[in-house]
Amino acid sequence: MTLELHATPEEVMRAVEAFQEFVRVQQIPERTAFGLALALEECGSNVVKYALGGIAQQKFKVSFGCRHDEIFIELRDPGPEFDPTAWNGSSSGAESEEAIGGWGIQLVRRYMDEIRYERRGKENILRLSKQLKPEGGEFQKAQSKQS
Amino acid sequence: MSLEIQIRKNIGARDDGAVTVNLAGSLDTLTAPDLERQLAPVLSGPVKDMIFDLADLKFISSAGLRVFASTRKTLREHHGQASFVHMQPQIQEVFEIIRSLPGVAIFKDEAEMDRYLAARQQSHAE
Repeated sequence: MTLELHATPEEVMRAVEAFQEFVRVQQIPERTAFGLALALEECGSNVVKYALGGIAQQKFKVSFGCRHDEIFIELRDPGPEFDPTAWNGSSSGAESEEAIGGWGIQLVRRYMDEIRYERRGKENILRLSKQLKPEGGEFQKAQSKQS
Repeated sequence: MSLEIQIRKNIGARDDGAVTVNLAGSLDTLTAPDLERQLAPVLSGPVKDMIFDLADLKFISSAGLRVFASTRKTLREHHGQASFVHMQPQIQEVFEIIRSLPGVAIFKDEAEMDRYLAARQQSHAE
């Protein structure tokens, strides 16, 4: 499924709600579904605030689906080049502005198995994925970057 | 999913300087600004302790955590504290991942919170 969205918080949550319905139909376990929806919310919010500057006329795309034993979320935006996987701020938990600003990406890293960033033409493409396995355990985080 | 916010002043034996905030639904990029707006007049008053009852909070993102962090900062300036009770497991996990609010009080139920607040009142009185 692909959604074309305006750069507003309302549209981010429209994507999250569509995704929550998708994972419900797919019978994804509740805890996994929560983390995936949270990752989509965080990445979508970053696109709206930073890549597209909160300009509602700007548009971005969110796609998601299941393939084999993997669920994926892809965000495409026409904003300036920005690789969130390269963010290396504090993870100390302190309430400094720097640490607070990094909470979103920390959550995404925690809940997803893989985060790939690619700059293709004038688009940022962020692909998040998580393995769906019956045991439902934690998986090794494998973050990689394609340039 | 929307966010329902109920703010009530605690009156009685528990803690007269405390306010309880019940949140139900989703605290996210869309709803966090509304919570911030509703808390602002309360935080500008004489409140010292704020208790967030999260029994019906189903979803939270970093936007919501930021509101809690700024609330905590304001309360600390007034020598107060933010506490959290009835946290759902998925919400508690988010707190644990971020370790965002070190030193905040998190209680599993109201009995545990009551004991804590009573002890806190007693220490203030001494």
